[in-house]
Amino acid sequence: MASSSSTYSNPPCAACKFLRRKCVPNCIFSPYFPPEEPTKFINVHKIFGASNVSKLLQEILPHQREDAVNSLAYEAEARLKDPVYGCVGAISVLQRQVLLLQKELDATNADLMRYTNVNIDQMPNKNSYSSAAILNQNGECFGKRVGYGSGSFDPVSLPYNSSTSWYNGPNSEENS
Amino acid sequence: MTIKSGTGQACAACKYQRRRCTPECLLAPFFPADQPKMFQNVHKLFGVKHIQNLLKELDPDQKAMAMKSIKFHAAMRDKYPVYGCLVEIQQLTYQIQLAEEELQAVLQQLAYYRQQNQQQEMSPTNDYLSQLQLGMEPPGNNNPVSFVHPDNPTQYNAVTALPINVPPHASYSNNGDVDYNTNYLDSKENNVVDSLWIQQAYSYSNNDNNNSMVMQPQLTTSNPEETNQDYNEMHPFFDNIDDRQSFIGSKEVYESSLESSQKDSRQAVEQMAENELKSAAACFSLTQNQIEGCSI
Repeated sequence: MASSSSTYSNPPCAACKFLRRKCVPNCIFSPYFPPEEPTKFINVHKIFGASNVSKLLQEILPHQREDAVNSLAYEAEARLKDPVYGCVGAISVLQRQVLLLQKELDATNADLMRYTNVNIDQMPNKNSYSSAAILNQNGECFGKRVGYGSGSFDPVSLPYNSSTSWYNGPNSEENS
Repeated sequence: MTIKSGTGQACAACKYQRRRCTPECLLAPFFPADQPKMFQNVHKLFGVKHIQNLLKELDPDQKAMAMKSIKFHAAMRDKYPVYGCLVEIQQLTYQIQLAEEELQAVLQQLAYYRQQNQQQEMSPTNDYLSQLQLGMEPPGNNNPVSFVHPDNPTQYNAVTALPINVPPHASYSNNGDVDYNTNYLDSKENNVVDSLWIQQAYSYSNNDNNNSMVMQPQLTTSNPEETNQDYNEMHPFFDNIDDRQSFIGSKEVYESSLESSQKDSRQAVEQMAENELKSAAACFSLTQNQIEGCSI
């Protein structure tokens, strides 16, 4: 009995093709690793391993798995390009950029305060509280208003400290 | 069951795998025994085999840093199972966007206040202009607006003197704002800020030619020819009076308006009286003709 279903069956996914195994209909990889993108699975498998990825995907809700696979693929590619820092290097670069912008913003606000104080002094009925109100509005540090994100990683300046906030227990839940 | 090595307690990796922790254990320096959760995160995401393969490919001085990043990576994945590190990247990208927008807004406000300051500094020069137009004597050398810009008289404008006349509390360019200037202007010199002032001032002077022409008489030592020409343009009534033909009445009547020629004024008054009489007579004759015309 020749199985005519093989003619109508879907081609094996990139994962099963790489692993050289039969791609079953309920293969957990097949929706996310199409055969047209073999590099995607190869990178993920090289860094994380197929079994680890499979376990991760089984713990996640089905509608979130595609995003999870895409993020793993991005992280794997980053780690292959930079074996030392991986995608964390991009995070440290962005953090430094935020700090620089914050400094510029604070300096600009300080300049602005100087001008607003001059204008207030020139007014006939200047109120000392108005400058303080403007200071509270503009002088507050940008970082305090927005926050520095959930975790901080500075591989250059600070040594690794196990008592960092992200290790001691995240309080916020993931936004999905 | 943990088999302790001769040096001490087994590392978290060996403890998790329930094997003997030898002194040659690759993971022992990075996973102390008192942090089991850290190794669990790393093991869940990467696996022991992949970690060992990564460490083998790196130099000894890079291993510590690589393990830091791997631990951070694993912790982020444990905290955010779906997106992992991308959450942090997205948050930082959003913060950068907010910061840039806020910086733009503050810079716009700053430009507005600077412009206001410039206008306030320009207001004394408007009074000077009105005095000149009234034919009053120009002020002496004590005028705070008088100054010389010998190199670029065409760029002469009152605003280039503003850095001199700006009160200390309003000055901003060279007073302790080096960090701001160098950071925002990508480590350019502080003179760039002054040049920006000059550029703004030049555009202002081009838009308001009257002020520039009035101010240029002060350039007595730099460019006399241009000064004289502008002086002529400033006083058209006094120098080009012969060319003014559009004035009402005769030329003599126009000349009689000068304070210096009193005789002409007397004659002009007399002639004006005669003209009025003549015109009145003409009107009378016209009215008579009209009456006669209507009666026919």
